[in-house]
Amino acid sequence: MTEPARTIWDTKIQAVCAVVAAQDGEDVELWMCANFGQVSLDPPRIIVNPNRLYPIEGAVRRAGRFSINVLPESELESARRMTEVRRRSPRKAAVLGLQFSDDAGHGIPYLPRCLQTLFCETEQILDTGDHTVMIARVLESRTHAQRVGERPLLYPRVTRGTARYPWLSAVVRQAVVRSGAKEKLKRALGRGRAGEAPVDLAGETYRQGGQTEKEIAEIVRHGLSDQGRVLEPPSRATGMLRRRIGVCVVGLGQWGSFHCRLFREANPLVDLYVCGRDPARVAQVARRTGAKGFVIGLEKAVEDSRFEAMSLVLPHHLHAGAALLALAHGKHVMVEKPIATSLEDADTMILAARKAGVVLRIAEDMHFRPAVREAAAAIARGDVGEPLYFTAHGGGMVKLQGWKADAERMGGGVLMDLGVHYVRAMRLLMGEPDHVQANRAMQVDTRMGGEDSVHATFSSRYGWQAHFLLSWAGPRGHSPDMIISGERGVIHLWPGAGFYDWYPAAPRPIPRALSYLRPGWLGEKLTRPEMQRVRRRIADEDKLGYHLEVREFLAAITEQREAVSAPEHARRDLEIVLCGYEALRSGHWTEIPKFGAGYARGAAK
Amino acid sequence: MRSEYLSRSVAPCPVGLVITAAGGRRNAMTVSFFSEVAHHPAALWVSVARMSYTHELIRESGVFSLAVLHDGQKELAMRCGTGSGRALDRWSGLGMQAGPEGFWYPAEALTVTSCRVRSETVLEDHTVFVADLLAGEVYANRANRRHLLTVDL
Repeated sequence: MTEPARTIWDTKIQAVCAVVAAQDGEDVELWMCANFGQVSLDPPRIIVNPNRLYPIEGAVRRAGRFSINVLPESELESARRMTEVRRRSPRKAAVLGLQFSDDAGHGIPYLPRCLQTLFCETEQILDTGDHTVMIARVLESRTHAQRVGERPLLYPRVTRGTARYPWLSAVVRQAVVRSGAKEKLKRALGRGRAGEAPVDLAGETYRQGGQTEKEIAEIVRHGLSDQGRVLEPPSRATGMLRRRIGVCVVGLGQWGSFHCRLFREANPLVDLYVCGRDPARVAQVARRTGAKGFVIGLEKAVEDSRFEAMSLVLPHHLHAGAALLALAHGKHVMVEKPIATSLEDADTMILAARKAGVVLRIAEDMHFRPAVREAAAAIARGDVGEPLYFTAHGGGMVKLQGWKADAERMGGGVLMDLGVHYVRAMRLLMGEPDHVQANRAMQVDTRMGGEDSVHATFSSRYGWQAHFLLSWAGPRGHSPDMIISGERGVIHLWPGAGFYDWYPAAPRPIPRALSYLRPGWLGEKLTRPEMQRVRRRIADEDKLGYHLEVREFLAAITEQREAVSAPEHARRDLEIVLCGYEALRSGHWTEIPKFGAGYARGAAK
Repeated sequence: MRSEYLSRSVAPCPVGLVITAAGGRRNAMTVSFFSEVAHHPAALWVSVARMSYTHELIRESGVFSLAVLHDGQKELAMRCGTGSGRALDRWSGLGMQAGPEGFWYPAEALTVTSCRVRSETVLEDHTVFVADLLAGEVYANRANRRHLLTVDL
């Protein structure tokens, strides 16, 4: 009993699974393949045929050497993860938790936990279509003692799905085929009817997974490896406080009081002090927050030896001056975002902190938001495939007063105040943008000096775009504040939520079952978008990341190390926002300097 | 399959049959040197010893069938991998059936594919034939069997 093979995958030419690995600069590039084979006996040679769209192709070309690591059956789950990992993701080994060694004397990274490793050197490269055939001499074949006796993993097992009882699944499938039920079912569903057009194996293979030269050129245009990301979210636990430490919160508005609470709750080893200009207000806040003491005036506070760290919660235009004063007195400083209102001020602050050898941290909770961390991991795993669009929708109906309504003191409007947060999220989730365009609707709050709404579009040479809609001019409604859309799924992040939502492109069980309902309109009527949703809970109690951020600042001080989320990154956030303002003024796409380029200029001054 | 192909095998590989016919002559030879080439154009490669009968027949006809064997076909693999097709009749007993466009398919396998040679690359004693995939058949009642591997022989 035979059926036509519809694609190359039906022919089962792919069999034994292996990981091909090659050194690529500092990184190890890897590819889970099931299409390698020995090609000659003396000398022994091997062929691998990486897809030209996979970074491994270029890595093997450049390195000229690579390893083929045959996987045992016990690595089934690991192999599945490898097939799903994002194609253009750098640092795949770290994403997948794979430990490579290079101690075999060939200068080739290999997987010690595999069944067998072939160390290879490329001899010939044949251009054969959308894959490249690489003929390589086998330098050494090494069997790993701990895996002796295990069988190699076969590709059909990797692609068969995740049945809980694989043997039962196999028996049922066999029975369905042998009884002819499969054929009858196909006919009943209107598929595989007699008289169908003959199967075009090559054509169907191309439709499902092939590329023409023109298509390859289009994809290659944006790079085969996404090197546009310089920031990664910190892990869940980044450090802990090891000794008693005094911290003074300067600026006692609503947000300053919140800082007091964060430091109080961060660790019992924190001795909290508060500082402000109004003695009555300072005394009241000190009592309410359980502060150990208080100081009147920043000038006195920087000279106070009871605390070594200061948290500056001041109007934006005062950030630089206050931070420089504190740094000059050897205090560790956490200053609210944005780092400053100009890049010159930001550069001066960073240099001052370096000179003083103290920690300068810009408070950016987005960097520590657990949902952002989990979403970044999901993107790296390949849950959305190639991330194509990032959408940020932030704000809400706010009437600003005081210094926040003054564009000079604020450094702008909503783009400055909220934009830096979402710029950081964009950088963590997508990477560094190269260009920005911005425009806006009419001003609603005419008493506000800066813009009360803005729409900005960012683009990257690596092929993605980001859209920000930030507004204080009207309500935001109920919607995610960030969306990451990719070819294989979309992720929704909700502000302050202990979860994120993932909508995979592949149909989930209920929508899949409904798709078989006839007539078709009934299935469509019964289908709801929520059926496709996977809600992933996040264990962290600190849903917005504020506590983690404060704890990490304190740990960096006591461990005498640089803070996670270095001030250079806050400067970069500001740089991107300022480019957004330039785009808003000019009405044109504005180029954003490469990360670090602008800072080098500033530091040289 | 000659024993040196097993003793000098550097990695576990699937086992198949290359089925060839040209000018009234025909042969089936066990191979483990084959794999995929590309998805567009869909193609595979098979490496065949230059002195073999199969090599001669592929050269002459420019076409061949590749049957991927399952784990219950060890005996068949050994039979078609021993000796030379010039002297032995390996064809009989395979239940060969004429497929489309003159290709031959065995009665039993995991899958079988019809291939037309596109290019050759000579590597000392072997030739790598890169061939376009024209058509294929899946043996549905063997869909749950696993590949026969060189380590099984």
